[in-house]
Amino acid sequence: MIRAMAFRNLQEVARFMITLGIALILGAIIIQLSGREASAAYRALFESALGSRLALADSLAVSTPLILTGLATAVAFRTGVFNVGVEGSLYMGAFAAAWVGFTWPNTPSGLLISAAILAGGLAGSLWGLIPGTLKAWLDVDEIVTTIMMNYVAVSFTSYLVNYPFAVPGLANAMSPMVPSSIHLPRLLPPSQLHAGFILALLCALGVGVLFSRTTWGFEFNLQGSNPIFARWAGVRSPRVILTAMGLSGFLGGLAGAFQILGVHYRFIANFSPGYGYDGIAIALLGRTTAFGTLVGALLFGALRNGASGLELFAGIPLELVRILEAVIILMVTAEATIRLKGKQIPISVEREG
Amino acid sequence: MSAILFAMLRMTAPLILAATGGIISQQAGMINVALEGLMLIGAFAGVLIAYYAQSAWIGTLAAVAAGALFAGLLALAVLGLRANLIVAGLALNLLVLGLTRYLLQILFATRGAFAPERLPGLGTLEIPTLRGFPILGDIILGHSPLVYFSWILALLSAFFLDHTPEGLRLRAVGENEEAARSLGVPVNRVRALALVASGCLAGLAGVQLSLGNLQLFFENMTNGRGFIALAAIYFGQARPALTLLACLLFGLFEAIQIRLQTRVDIPPQWPQMLPFILVILVLAGVSMHRRARRMFF
Amino acid sequence: MAYLEMRGITKRFPGVVAIDHVDFSVEEGEIHALVGENGAGKTTLMRILYGMESPDEGIIRLGGRAVRIPNPQAAIRLGIGMVHQHFQLVPSFTTLENIVLNREPRRGPLLDRQHARRALGTLIERLGLEVDLSARVSELSVGERQRVEILKLLYRNARLIILDEPTTVLTLQETHALFGMLRRLKEEGRTIIFISHRLSEVMEIADRVTVLRRGRVVGVRSVASTDERELARMMVGEVIAVARQTGHSLENAPPALIVRDVTLAEIPGRLSLKSLSFEVRRGEILGVAGVEGNGQQELVELLAGLRFPQKGQILLDGKDITFMDVRGRRRHGLAVIPPDRLQEGLSLPAPVWANLIATRYHLPPFSHLGFLNRALIQSYAAQLIQKFEVMVPSIDAPTLTLSGGNLQRLIIAREVSTPPRVLIAAHPTRGLDMRATQAIRKLLLELADQGTAVLLISTDIDELLALADRLLVLHRGEIVGFLPISQADPESLGLLMAGRRLERRG
Repeated sequence: MIRAMAFRNLQEVARFMITLGIALILGAIIIQLSGREASAAYRALFESALGSRLALADSLAVSTPLILTGLATAVAFRTGVFNVGVEGSLYMGAFAAAWVGFTWPNTPSGLLISAAILAGGLAGSLWGLIPGTLKAWLDVDEIVTTIMMNYVAVSFTSYLVNYPFAVPGLANAMSPMVPSSIHLPRLLPPSQLHAGFILALLCALGVGVLFSRTTWGFEFNLQGSNPIFARWAGVRSPRVILTAMGLSGFLGGLAGAFQILGVHYRFIANFSPGYGYDGIAIALLGRTTAFGTLVGALLFGALRNGASGLELFAGIPLELVRILEAVIILMVTAEATIRLKGKQIPISVEREG
Repeated sequence: MSAILFAMLRMTAPLILAATGGIISQQAGMINVALEGLMLIGAFAGVLIAYYAQSAWIGTLAAVAAGALFAGLLALAVLGLRANLIVAGLALNLLVLGLTRYLLQILFATRGAFAPERLPGLGTLEIPTLRGFPILGDIILGHSPLVYFSWILALLSAFFLDHTPEGLRLRAVGENEEAARSLGVPVNRVRALALVASGCLAGLAGVQLSLGNLQLFFENMTNGRGFIALAAIYFGQARPALTLLACLLFGLFEAIQIRLQTRVDIPPQWPQMLPFILVILVLAGVSMHRRARRMFF
Repeated sequence: MAYLEMRGITKRFPGVVAIDHVDFSVEEGEIHALVGENGAGKTTLMRILYGMESPDEGIIRLGGRAVRIPNPQAAIRLGIGMVHQHFQLVPSFTTLENIVLNREPRRGPLLDRQHARRALGTLIERLGLEVDLSARVSELSVGERQRVEILKLLYRNARLIILDEPTTVLTLQETHALFGMLRRLKEEGRTIIFISHRLSEVMEIADRVTVLRRGRVVGVRSVASTDERELARMMVGEVIAVARQTGHSLENAPPALIVRDVTLAEIPGRLSLKSLSFEVRRGEILGVAGVEGNGQQELVELLAGLRFPQKGQILLDGKDITFMDVRGRRRHGLAVIPPDRLQEGLSLPAPVWANLIATRYHLPPFSHLGFLNRALIQSYAAQLIQKFEVMVPSIDAPTLTLSGGNLQRLIIAREVSTPPRVLIAAHPTRGLDMRATQAIRKLLLELADQGTAVLLISTDIDELLALADRLLVLHRGEIVGFLPISQADPESLGLLMAGRRLERRG
């Protein structure tokens, strides 16, 4: 059985590479059309992303929230819940962590940092449980509700730092700083890589174990693969959906919390460049497996990090990377279904009367 | 007061246009989460071509074409390559966001906003004799032509859905594609056309934002309006009349918020959040109602 | 020369030849029956004729001319129409809208409803039908919906009409009404192909019969020169008899399942169940007979625990399980073979082992402290597939790679690995070949012998007669009669299923 899994991983990697390859080719075309040189551009991108120890460290730093949002989305998708609301959980978690930090700055650091992280996770979890409850008990379509919740979260947290928790005298909308005692330690200064990355890796491990070895994971898989059969088999679907959304929101909240405690050290309105939405792409790219999601997050992290180099050294607007990402997402979702089609063998013709 | 209502009508127009487009694709069974991106590309293309061609109307046509083109891309991905509709739609939003920023840099070497001096606007509609009309005169007149066009289109689309054969086929595809297919309705073609139509309308919505209101383009100028339009559609259960009502309501929120900002100190985020919260409540309510009819399931 | 000629038609699906060099011809103006067991290839052949499938080999000639039928629209243009087993109607549209869809009369850009109304009105009158053009299809009865389907074809001037198992969902009266309509259509010169496996009906309505078995033509007869027995012989080939349950005394067996005056509310898409009362004793097989769509689905959902009744009680070995959820009922010894194998009985994307433990994964020894015991699950799965002879590439293979018979074996393996106290078996042999069917019937008999109370729901009267000790007949959500097997003959059963009650109760 382990051999079969390894083979599948190899197949996945090959697909991955092809997807990436096509995206890069398209990107090259765009670059050439813009009157710049593609090879120089990609060289700059690569250098910036992976060319030195510091660059690599920064790429890992950028991928930290992506790992978590990817995992968050994967957990929900596995259970058959199309959770588009990780972005919202991320915001709520980020604010909650900041709030714990700046409200009780004199608490011993070990306790405070744990509380902040936990608060971040819980805030994200509760945020996800709102649409989760609506789906579990009222069968309300989760796609629309989670998208809406994202916008509410962004607006609400923006309100919080512009009004009740505004810092007088500051032009930008941000909260008070969290005490330095709970800043997540930098692993390789002067890069941005912080301890949150390690924690994210642990989460990936945890989610992997969850999917393949636990009762909960089995239930998620069962519910997601055929919700009708799950009911007939006795699975308590509402409970499973709620658990999945709670966990998904928790991971999203952690993503936000780690960004605050490891990078920004305060809550800033609209700080996320769409980490939650990227999580969707990453989860799909990784076929909702923990390992695949991790790899996808690292890829996107590298691309993002390299983007600034693209602009600095090759004169190409860093938005190109965003375009590449979007193309990758499109291709991933297209071929994901093609792959499934290829594997589909009609069950039996005996039923064809 | 009439100033607020005037602003409301102006704010509502892009919503109405986008929502009308969204209804068409929704009735064909395709939820269009890419309205945001389609509006944005319309806004951008409109400004871009209007600037080069020095004509707002050519810009408007370009906006419609851009919306159609990108919606066509979406249709290709979803219907041709079996991509997931939601994910592909979200990807399109990201693509347009990145592309518009990219092009702003490449073409005009700017970030943020593009507000050239010689950018023609769409102008406004004035009927001097009607101006004197009490109250209504101040509210209804003086808008960009697209505002009036949006109402006309909303009416036309409602009519189209209920009273034309093509509308019937579209609704059949959305409700039971097997039935439609068995009678020879080209299901995928209908769906693709529905998406393209929604792209055209969303493009129009976008150009109303950039040329009809302000005569400039700035990054991410749609700022979630595409999703507010989606919210309106869900609020109105994809029915044209209710959806129109929702658009008016949401437009009113926006108008009030801008108005009040200068006077009363209501945080602008509250009216911003309101449409989304309302939609969630409506969806919950509809589900509860449906549940109540079923009992004990 | 025949009006319709299909020559040398062959159609292959992966792993199976569904239709093997079939020659099929129909004369103009005749009612021609196409019969065969489940899986014989009847529907596939007609789907080819209607353009929904393309043949791998063979030609089709209509009125002497060779034709190509790449899609339903082409078939419609050639004057061919098909009424499928599962209706293709848009629920929120009116009858009128459903009929004229994609061939709507127009006035300029508008849909001309008036014109449509008039045109259809004439058609309806001519055929003597009763149809409400303004009614929403979602509100129509099954028989009425079938009429809408037929009107769809006639509106498109179908000269060749294909009906796929039209009477499975009809009552006796509705069937007679349908046959009346078919005869009128025949008088108008239309040609009708009637797919069925109900030989009595075939003898009643058809002029000629073609019998298919395993994708091949066994023979063509004119109805006048044959009888049901010959047709049955041709359909089935060798008849493998399953030993009938020689009634060991069930008189003193305690009831394992008691359903007492249970009423289930009506919800959209489902019938209501009214005041059901019955018992199943230990070791007894109680058969539930009835035309499909008369409450069987609702009954299974109720007993399985997916829905709760508004009134009444359900007792399992004395324990009140009326409001117990699925898991609780299973814990008390209930097992279910669901009516829809693929949707309700299995998770196709999941691996085989997952389906085998899907009802017990949360219990020790499979789960301990939140973790699955993978090694144990593996050996358990291996044991089960061996014991129940399920052919799988490996226990990790995705379940969708299995054939129909093996899928059912998988479900059964899961449900009866520990002999249940009560087994609800819904359509357990539907769509399976002879061998699989016999194996499953044997298994059900063995289970009953060991003391399991079996509730067997089936539309196959032969199956019920072969296996059950007693029969209960469902009609429109009510029990209209009980029959001990010794007194069950096709006529009494037919009457009951059509809704006429008998005096005796059981």
